[in-house]
Amino acid sequence: MFDWKLILEVIGMLIYATFVGFIFMGIERKAMARIQRRVGPPIYQPIIDTLKLLGKKESVSHGFIYDFGPIFALGASIAALLFIPIANFQLFSANADLIVVAYLLEVPMLGIMLGAMSSGNPYSAVGVQRGLLTMVAMQLPYGLALIAIIQHWGTFKLNELVSLQQAHGWSILVPALFVAMIVFDIVFQAMLGLEPFDIVSAPAEISMGPMVEYGGKHAALLFTQHAVQLFAETAFFAVIFLGGASNLLELLIKQIAVLFIAIFVASIYPRFTIDQAAKFFWKWPTILGIIAVLLTV
Amino acid sequence: MINELMIIIFAPLVAGVIAWALDIKILREILGLCGSAVPLALLLRLYNESINYSFTIGGFTLQFQLSTLTWYFAVIASLVGLAMAFGMTSTSKSSYDWLFALMSYTGVLGVFLSADFVGFFLFWELMTFASFMMVLKRNKHESLKYFVLSVIGAYAMLIAIGMLYAKTGALDFATIRQILYIDASMGTITKGETVMIFALFLTAFGVKAGSVPLHVWAPGAYSENDQSYTAFFSGALSKAGAYGFFLIYLLMAYKLYAELGTFHGHLTFAYIIAWIGAITVVVAGFLAVLQEDIRKLFAYSSVSQVGYILLALGLGTALGFSGALFHVLSHAVFKGLFWLVTAAIILQTGKTQFKDMGGLAEKMPFTFAMGLIAVLSLAGIPPMAGFASKWLIYEAAISAHMPLVAGSIFLGSGIAFAYVVRFLYAVWFGQRPSDLEDVREAPLPLLVGMTLLAIPNLVFGIAPGLVTGYINKILGGEVVGGDYYKLVTPTGTYNALLVTIALTIGLAIAGLIYLYGARARKIPVTNTYQSGNPVTEEFNLSIRKNFYKPLAEALDFWLKYSWDRFYERLAGIIEDLADSLRQSFYNGNVQSYSWYLAIVLLILALWGVL
Repeated sequence: MFDWKLILEVIGMLIYATFVGFIFMGIERKAMARIQRRVGPPIYQPIIDTLKLLGKKESVSHGFIYDFGPIFALGASIAALLFIPIANFQLFSANADLIVVAYLLEVPMLGIMLGAMSSGNPYSAVGVQRGLLTMVAMQLPYGLALIAIIQHWGTFKLNELVSLQQAHGWSILVPALFVAMIVFDIVFQAMLGLEPFDIVSAPAEISMGPMVEYGGKHAALLFTQHAVQLFAETAFFAVIFLGGASNLLELLIKQIAVLFIAIFVASIYPRFTIDQAAKFFWKWPTILGIIAVLLTV
Repeated sequence: MINELMIIIFAPLVAGVIAWALDIKILREILGLCGSAVPLALLLRLYNESINYSFTIGGFTLQFQLSTLTWYFAVIASLVGLAMAFGMTSTSKSSYDWLFALMSYTGVLGVFLSADFVGFFLFWELMTFASFMMVLKRNKHESLKYFVLSVIGAYAMLIAIGMLYAKTGALDFATIRQILYIDASMGTITKGETVMIFALFLTAFGVKAGSVPLHVWAPGAYSENDQSYTAFFSGALSKAGAYGFFLIYLLMAYKLYAELGTFHGHLTFAYIIAWIGAITVVVAGFLAVLQEDIRKLFAYSSVSQVGYILLALGLGTALGFSGALFHVLSHAVFKGLFWLVTAAIILQTGKTQFKDMGGLAEKMPFTFAMGLIAVLSLAGIPPMAGFASKWLIYEAAISAHMPLVAGSIFLGSGIAFAYVVRFLYAVWFGQRPSDLEDVREAPLPLLVGMTLLAIPNLVFGIAPGLVTGYINKILGGEVVGGDYYKLVTPTGTYNALLVTIALTIGLAIAGLIYLYGARARKIPVTNTYQSGNPVTEEFNLSIRKNFYKPLAEALDFWLKYSWDRFYERLAGIIEDLADSLRQSFYNGNVQSYSWYLAIVLLILALWGVL
């Protein structure tokens, strides 16, 4: 009755994705540190942090929604992950649609926002406001980049996208889609919450924004969520622009390449203010996005 | 025996009139509920049946038809109508409200079930009149705005119907459709006339659907109203406009195609509708984000969401129709739900501004849960009905190769996310103002009404195939394939059940991690990180006003322009002009009056009359 192979794959993939996601977080910190000529923490530091947080003897809560927020966020991240074709593991991706996955990747944000809002902390509220405005701002170029992809390949299905790219070459080799990739990469910076769009958490301004109230096991959940999300988003990037992958190692290399671009951009640029970010997104990325979609009509 | 269709259409009106005439407190509510429940019950019994009925009155033959399309619209309207009646049982205290609410209910059903333009126009006017009376009671200025725009729409429709009648000699939809279809190749009706009829219909239905730039009545009329009635006003009445756009397709599509041709591979006339929809989605969305009043926020949001329907219709593909029809349903259920939640909030707190609210989630948990369902559905979170319909529209827009229109949907849903979260934060979370300490849960009838609308959001979310299956029947072909849980289009696929399962797996894993951790101790809202500042109850920790100020700053260039202010100024100019004319002519001077007389006589003499 049960598809045991699928269940094993799901469990294995979740463990792998969480672990690699944590390592990505470690790489991010380490690489940033090296660029800034610091030593930096060991690469497995995020795992230690999370385990420590999970082992806390006490945690505080502001009510049901406050608890539910992080759970919902992690749940949605896991759901999104299960729909992305990861290397030769198909999981649920036979039914994966680009729009569905793009939406599922945004749902965790609502979970974090819900929890943050219910804490009643004004820093969280400012973080929520900034997060949503960033989302409104980035949505148009993001959408245009995805539309360009769909128009060029003529399908919404992720596994078909992968097989088409394996037959006809990667998306970024197509000039119009290369433009779309540039747009997507700019938006990607905001999706990962890195500079110049780390307006949401802005550590030095609003004390990590939505995350300010979270500690103990709630924070551990959010760390795990971030790891899974990081893995899912880099995989998503690799699937739609870099031709997917036929094995986990190939995927890992592509993911790390994507990650390093993000890290390098992040360590060069300072932070935008929120209205600057909105105006920026609606100018160059949007213009490039429109060029990309018009070239692929 | 009286025909079922007549019972369906007139039951609410009869109940409303009796309730108004008797005006006895409990009887009124019971009558209203029965009157609203009858159409829904009868329509559900008539599932999959097709009925034609006609009678002659005053030389006109009124025809009514129950077909797959009209059943779909009518059943949505009656579902929202019943929910409205439950809501009004709690919120409305006067028989005046019951009379006109139920009268507009009759009007809407009549519009959907009419099969000719006589009935269509009569019921259209009945619906407009009744909803106008609902606004008039509460705010004269807003009702006037609604009235003027509706009159413009009504005249436009009347002229269009007149032109069609003059050209085709028929008033019933079937004949007009046939004649226009044949005329598409013959070309007796000129291009100019066709465009004229199209533009007039566009105005008439655009007013009701609240498409930009004819949307200015909607925020005022939706908010200055009994909010339970607004559930129907925005959930069902605005659908009459969307239905009108369907009618344009049904009657005139071939003729318009023959006359206007195509534009870069899209039907020209449809392309216009698509762009009207896209602009409505974005403009109304941005305006919704910046509102400070809960009613205004949802009013603009409603305008924006109906824009999705127009946009999908404008794609002109079968998939687009499918998405539009699905969104008619999901908009009705989630926006109806939103308005009932708003009604409950306003009833229990007496406040409408975001700045006066906060922290109500603990006080009204059930209403909060319902509000959350509506939020998830509107924001398009899978698996909710709102996502399924939005997904279809995405697929349709991108497959129709309208990338910029599709881009506006992306922008529109980002905006939708932003304004529903604003609603969540300002009303339900944060610090509670001290005067809201004794707020209680909404009364039972309102909760019943909310539940009635919340269930379809979940059921059609997890099993969207139920709806698309029926829509396939309307469109007469397998437009969206799949089964109950799975939608399959030529290029994409969405398996709602699988998404639900994946989410459940995710939530279960996350929940297990949560349970593994140490027990959580509950602390109050004031006990938060405040950079070391001690915080007591007197501090206001919630951002209640100008939540999205940075957005207003980023948009300040665009916000300088407003259709509403433009119309107000235009009205002012006309008023001033009329006033100065009046003052210069009727100046009370007998000598000038005798001069007017002399001039008129002179003109008549020159004309040869005298």
